[in-house]
Amino acid sequence: MIKRGGDGLFVGQRAIAGFGTTIINVAREVGGISLLFAKVVRALVPPSMDGRELMKNLHKMGNRSVPIVVLTAFFAGALMTLQSAPFVTRLGATALAGWAAGYAVLREIGPILIALMFSGRVGANNTAELATMTVTEQLDGLRSLSIDPVRYLIVPRVVAMMVMMVALTVIGDLVALAGAALIAHWVLDIEYATMYWSFADNLAPADFLHGIYKSLTFGVAIAITSCYFGATVRGGAVGVGRAVNAAVVAAAVSIMLLDFFMTYLNA
Amino acid sequence: MSATEPRGIAAYTAARIELLGTTVVSGARALWALWLLFIATVAGLVRGGRPRGEIARQMYVIGNRSLLFIAVTLGFIGMVIVYQTCLQFNKVTGDFSQVGSQFIRLAVSDFAPTLTAMMLATRVGAGIAAEIGSMKVTDQIDALRMSGVLPVDYLIVPRVVASLVMTVVMAILGCLICYVAGGLTAEHSFGVNPEVFYDLSLLRWQHLGLGLAKASSYGIAIPVVAGFFGLRAQGSSEGVGWATTSAVIGGSFAVILLDFVWSIFGFFLFGASL
Repeated sequence: MIKRGGDGLFVGQRAIAGFGTTIINVAREVGGISLLFAKVVRALVPPSMDGRELMKNLHKMGNRSVPIVVLTAFFAGALMTLQSAPFVTRLGATALAGWAAGYAVLREIGPILIALMFSGRVGANNTAELATMTVTEQLDGLRSLSIDPVRYLIVPRVVAMMVMMVALTVIGDLVALAGAALIAHWVLDIEYATMYWSFADNLAPADFLHGIYKSLTFGVAIAITSCYFGATVRGGAVGVGRAVNAAVVAAAVSIMLLDFFMTYLNA
Repeated sequence: MSATEPRGIAAYTAARIELLGTTVVSGARALWALWLLFIATVAGLVRGGRPRGEIARQMYVIGNRSLLFIAVTLGFIGMVIVYQTCLQFNKVTGDFSQVGSQFIRLAVSDFAPTLTAMMLATRVGAGIAAEIGSMKVTDQIDALRMSGVLPVDYLIVPRVVASLVMTVVMAILGCLICYVAGGLTAEHSFGVNPEVFYDLSLLRWQHLGLGLAKASSYGIAIPVVAGFFGLRAQGSSEGVGWATTSAVIGGSFAVILLDFVWSIFGFFLFGASL
């Protein structure tokens, strides 16, 4: 005899019910995110947003994220060199060290790691801020003053994240290549000049641009998901924590999905 | 205020230096507090006396609930990495016979555990910080202390044990998923024979050991860092949001840093045979 649970369902039934609930929740969130994206696009044609809010967000999201991005990018470059190190020493092909590390950093690891860090630092922060405003009914306050919260709060944030994600990826790419060269010098005894020419000979502008396109889409995805989960939060401090959690998870999934599609589109 | 005024410059420089000093001191203090929390966790682990069934419950929350998330993200990462590698091989030699065997070597020793842990740091780390942070701001941590229960033993230790086990399990699962997804991509987009791709001849015990060591250290680091930020939460909803954000950043950065340390260690230990 199969036991029934407290809700009167068999184990299999409960699994199916859980699966269905998950699908419905995901569909609801994807729908909400798409609607918010459409609203933001409509507010941008013609562009009308709060200039002061935009500058404030550009500074807060861009300038203040430089340290964490620089650190992440440095280690990303160093790690890529370390991963290719066994080949390089086995084959003695020092001229190829920069090729492997540079290619991986510019096209994949750089944009992805910087986007994940950006999502953690800026996206999560943004969700927490908007969620706190929602919980304390400040969004309703704006609405009652007939100020559109999408135009006043969300559009400047989306634009700021888009711009700053690209800018930080450019900085991060440079730091990552420097990190790769530094570790190659320390661990593998490769001259800096060799690494430089290895980068210069084997990497094309297309590799760099491939990463930049990706980071642009990652910036939009992080911005929209973080604003969506921040503006739709319910239930006090516990709700804020849950919203931030949901926002970073959604951002991570969309980064991976977009990475895949951008790779195919740009190949 | 003009910048050419000497007093202005001096005051500005002094303020900058003061800011730098404050940052360094508070950073060092935070690192020391994190270390103390780690020691307290180890002590709690030795002491025992956790609530019953808590570890199993945490394993369910950390492991089973992350299953879909890990499967989706690692699957796509495997596809992208193989696609990019094949693209590059296509340009240079057009010989795909090495792609699969090199991919599994890199996936086992680095990509799979590290990216799985990055994903878990966002999902699990944020969850732990949000939960413990909410308890902190609603004074539940103080209530625990008042009833003679150590918050570290009650909250952090079960999560560390559960995360240690589940991160290793998830890393193995993530590795399998990205290997299979990568093989399918190689076959579909570049016509690589699966028998050629799924070639384990380059995989050694060192790779497996290094991957497992990385996964276990990430598994310990993520909940300790997240719990640390959760226990430091102050104020109300804003404090919880701040704790969650810091947990994601701190956890991800801890993963990258540990990966770097293990990779350097592995390279010096095994050298070119890796």
